[in-house]
Amino acid sequence: MEHIRTPKVEQVKLQDRFSNKSITGTLYLTATHLIFVESNSTSAQEIWILHHHIASVEKLSLTTTGCPLVIQCRNFRVVHFVVPRERDCHDVYSSLLRLLRPVSYEELYAFSYNPKQNDEQREEGWQLIDLAAEFERMGVPCDQWQLTDVNREYKVCETYPRDLYVPITASKPIIVGSSKFRSKGRFPVLTYFYQEKKAAVCRCSQPLSGFSARCLEDEHMLQAISRANHNSRFVYVMDTRPKLNALANRAAGKGYENEDNYSNIRFQFVGIENIHVMRASLQKLLEVVGTRALSMTDYLQGLENSGWLRHIKAVVDAAIFLAKAVTVEGASVLVHCSDGWDRTAQVCSLGALLMDPYYRTIKGFMVLIEKDWISFGHKFADRCDQLDGDSKEVSPVFTQFLECVWQLTEQFPQAFEFSEWFLIQIHEHVHSCQFGNFLGNNQRQREELQIKERTYSLWAHLLSEKQNYLNPLYNPILAETNPVLEPSTQPCFFKFWRNMYHQFDRSMHPRQSILKHILTLTENNRELEKTAQTLKAKLQKLGVSTSPLGLYTPSRERALPPRPQSLILGAPLSRKEAQQDEEEEEAVFGEEAREDEPPGSDGERTVEGSSATENGYPELQGTFESKSEPAIVSLEFGVARMTC
Amino acid sequence: MEKSGSVDSLGSKQSSSRQPSVDSLSSTSTSRSDRSSHAKAPSAVSSESVSTSNEFSPQLRTFQDSSKEPQLLPKETIQDVAKDVTYICPFIGALRGSLTVTNYRLFFRCIDRDPVFVLDLPLGVISRVEKIGGASSRGDVSYGLVCKDIRNLRFVHKQPEDTLKKSVFEVLMKFAFPVSNNLPLFAFEYSQEFPENGWKVYDALAEYRRQGLPNESWRISKVNDHYELCDSYPSALVVPVTIPDEELRRVAAFRAKGRIPVLSWIHPESQATVIRCSQPMAGVNGKRCKEDEKLLQAIMDANAQSHKLFIFDARPSVNAVANKTKGGGYESEDAYQNAELVFLEIHNIHVMRESLRKLKEVVYPNIEESHWLSNLESTHWLEHIKLILAGALRIADKVESAKTSVVVHCSDGWDRTAQLTSLAMLMLDAHYRTIRGFQILLEKEWLSFGHRFQQRVGHGDKNHTDADRSPVFVQFIDCVWQMTRQFPTAFEFNEYFLITILDHLYSCLFGTFLCNSEQQRVKEELVKRTVSLWSFINSQLDEFSNPFYVHYSSHVLFPVVSMRHLDLWVAYYIRWNPRMRPQEPVHLRHKELLAKRAELQRRVEELQREVANRATSSSSDRPGSPTRSITPVQTFV
Repeated sequence: MEHIRTPKVEQVKLQDRFSNKSITGTLYLTATHLIFVESNSTSAQEIWILHHHIASVEKLSLTTTGCPLVIQCRNFRVVHFVVPRERDCHDVYSSLLRLLRPVSYEELYAFSYNPKQNDEQREEGWQLIDLAAEFERMGVPCDQWQLTDVNREYKVCETYPRDLYVPITASKPIIVGSSKFRSKGRFPVLTYFYQEKKAAVCRCSQPLSGFSARCLEDEHMLQAISRANHNSRFVYVMDTRPKLNALANRAAGKGYENEDNYSNIRFQFVGIENIHVMRASLQKLLEVVGTRALSMTDYLQGLENSGWLRHIKAVVDAAIFLAKAVTVEGASVLVHCSDGWDRTAQVCSLGALLMDPYYRTIKGFMVLIEKDWISFGHKFADRCDQLDGDSKEVSPVFTQFLECVWQLTEQFPQAFEFSEWFLIQIHEHVHSCQFGNFLGNNQRQREELQIKERTYSLWAHLLSEKQNYLNPLYNPILAETNPVLEPSTQPCFFKFWRNMYHQFDRSMHPRQSILKHILTLTENNRELEKTAQTLKAKLQKLGVSTSPLGLYTPSRERALPPRPQSLILGAPLSRKEAQQDEEEEEAVFGEEAREDEPPGSDGERTVEGSSATENGYPELQGTFESKSEPAIVSLEFGVARMTC
Repeated sequence: MEKSGSVDSLGSKQSSSRQPSVDSLSSTSTSRSDRSSHAKAPSAVSSESVSTSNEFSPQLRTFQDSSKEPQLLPKETIQDVAKDVTYICPFIGALRGSLTVTNYRLFFRCIDRDPVFVLDLPLGVISRVEKIGGASSRGDVSYGLVCKDIRNLRFVHKQPEDTLKKSVFEVLMKFAFPVSNNLPLFAFEYSQEFPENGWKVYDALAEYRRQGLPNESWRISKVNDHYELCDSYPSALVVPVTIPDEELRRVAAFRAKGRIPVLSWIHPESQATVIRCSQPMAGVNGKRCKEDEKLLQAIMDANAQSHKLFIFDARPSVNAVANKTKGGGYESEDAYQNAELVFLEIHNIHVMRESLRKLKEVVYPNIEESHWLSNLESTHWLEHIKLILAGALRIADKVESAKTSVVVHCSDGWDRTAQLTSLAMLMLDAHYRTIRGFQILLEKEWLSFGHRFQQRVGHGDKNHTDADRSPVFVQFIDCVWQMTRQFPTAFEFNEYFLITILDHLYSCLFGTFLCNSEQQRVKEELVKRTVSLWSFINSQLDEFSNPFYVHYSSHVLFPVVSMRHLDLWVAYYIRWNPRMRPQEPVHLRHKELLAKRAELQRRVEELQREVANRATSSSSDRPGSPTRSITPVQTFV
């Protein structure tokens, strides 16, 4: 690559974010990654950072030991290098500056990434998620809702998908008229259909109402939506913005629906803040939790002042409102914000997640993201800063959605088929640009880029390692008895997502996890079952008939392939490595090692947890976690540790 | 019919909470009917003492006869019943019903609602009863009950027109504060029999024997046999062999309240020890005591691994200095060579009391949504928890990693010192993480070493403004809970166990937490006259066991005391709020898996045996025993 001036720098120090510890190694700069390899030959930890993951590079002023280089990543990794010679540091710095700002899509990793699959496999991967089948699953088209071809050529709305579902009574002129009255042409379309009550969740953008403008077609459109549902005489219109913002928009000729003009709506503001507030809020949150030796006061006040958890709660509140309106009242709901691709996507998808247990499965969650986020044109390229663009467009809207889901999984540990590791992996790849799914801002753009022909699908990749993302507590029976989730929104239920924001900070990881415990137990049982089967077979050979095995029907646990080593939970590290770092490592490895021991054995005294440092705050301790990267590069070891 | 247990561990989800079901008890017992009848009454008590949390989630509670009228315990008698009392529930609103007061409990029942609303709490939790304002025009009087377990209750009742008749609340006040009214605590009347006698759980000598004491460096002294040396210490004390009893007496004169440095715990390998005592009476002039210096030197010498001694003074250094004017103080480094003094900056009982009072304001009855975190911060409760845990961690680390003996004291050595030594021992010694081991730890570090439970809790005492009251023990249990969250598999007991202990800290049903010292307990003949809480708990261990527990016998825990790992104990402090609905019980799934494993293991063994039998019987025609090819079943969790 022409941008790389110095491909290799030796004697670089990597400093821990929360302590004074550091390790020395060599820094390599490749076309796609920044790689740090520890020079200590026995352990040789490696850290691979994909260029696309780097959010910012900062060169600090020269110190006696060298030139510090701080790299902040979008997956919340923060690394602090000290390069001995300023010249080298500058070279790396300026190369990175260029590399992390790709100017065209062609430069993105997805277009060069090749997981050694043939075209057929790639195509299969892309066919995994079929949105037409998804609407069919919901029961659409039906006698009230139909597929329209009005957007086949992206003529009515270029940020919408080609296939759209509208009320049967909404004729083409009504659609076109309505779209002209809606910001960016995003007219009301169906996104979720609650079959039980025939209630629909529709989405759109704000109307161009200004102070007094009205549009008969748009009013007809809403009437059509209302008429499609016999359960309720009105449609809820949820404007997810704070009222003040909506009012301000009126001055720009936009605004919100006037209840007087629309005969059958109930209008409601929800009050989720805009992308700029969210961006600033996350920034504040990261500053707070990134502080060394953080006091309880600074932590709690910082957490509150960042407003992040309050914003998360606002989104969840809105989703609960939506779910209640649909499932309890049986009313249809139309959701919009300004353009209908950020807050609207959050509320619609989270609401559907509360209502429909299917979306709480691994496959279903993929479908949900594909539908509400990818196909309806959440601007991933802009929001995730895929190309060097406007920094004002960047915002953690999707991260926020994932966090809302995580907060729900904390309240309903048995309701989700996937674990938090799945959410973190999706977050990782939304920013990695390694797979095609999230490239670009809308379907039309993705077609122009020939994503399906030139890149691979993340969903196929995630499904291929599905067993890593399974939640062992998942209980599908609950989904039948209590299909609709009703989360509590008491503020003490909204917690800081430590495993996301401290994913790469080893010293912040918990020491023991129930999750891991249960996984081991489940696996044990599977083994036992197998042994019993073998034994039975043996006996049969010997000519003895046995009673059928056990009382238990080995339900879904049976067919799973063995869990691969070194992924999510408790992959045993090599002992060699374990001997390296006594205190801290001992803690974790000790635990791993003990798993091989029968319980209750009198081994040596083992220490679990970090040891106390002189000041009594062991968070200042810690070593870096890392290990050789698996075949797929951006998989980070952090999470493996975190849940252990 | 038993109640299907209370689900009071509301809001807990990560923690290994429990699922009380009395059925499980009766099914595991051998003499079924016999045992369940034992467990029945107290379990009803315990559940009800905490079960007001269920009153809002009726689906969790099977309303049996018990909700119609209180199920009385043996020797419990109804003192007064008043119809037409209104309970002002902060969550539901006004509820009219009948109020029953016994010599043990308050029982309110409202039948207008479906399901029937019941409030049932031991009178012991009531800290204060106050009449709010005068009688209204209709003759209604409002009463506020401030409770020790983080809630307040409010009732409205018509003042009886006949002035000679006492109001039900006057009766209530009489029995809620028996000590102030020259009545016995209910614990002295309650006489339930349990299959196990909890008073036998702790035997000081047996516990020291378990630690390998006495040995060549440490002896068990009888100097305090009649509590003459120190009336707040236990009779058995472990001291260095080189210090004779006469010298101990002289040390006692130099230590506040005669609480001399004695051994609490010894490391099984390095012989490093945890020593506890009270502050030295150094005073402003820096008085010294030869024997005290010699004793500390002997403690250091008893541990060959280190030539240093760490003295952890739990107090903030300013307070320690201030104590000098009152004749107290701390060890000067001139007098105690090779000793290093460290202040742990933990605040005193008054600060802690204030902190919990503020916490109660923040969480009860309702949480203010917009300022939840900053309100929580303003209580400083978590900060205190963090300091205590951090202090205990430093002690444990010095003993385990640096193999150095440590001396821990505060002012009198019965509050912060008890917190620190017991937490450090919990980190260092897996035995204390079992159910019985934890009971031993409490009996030893808290009860025998004279944590002043009577004063700190104020059992049956109406003087609610007493400055000696403080939630020191609650704070300790909170710290234990924080540890169980970080190490969910390291503790044999569950969250319900901890909550039960706290509920009976106040209930005055059991004798365990009565009195201030071992001497007083002996004098009051608690063992003879009351029932131990451990009798109740150990008779139904299933209820209190953590399904995730894995027993590692020599396993040291170093928790992370970063605030990112500390949480408010919602399941305890906010359990009265009906919006804290119970989380899905994770541990049930785990129990299921455990049961399945046991079943499969049994099955596999059976099959293996059968295969082996078959193989030997037909080994002539089958070379190579089939059993050999079977992978041994490993049982690790």
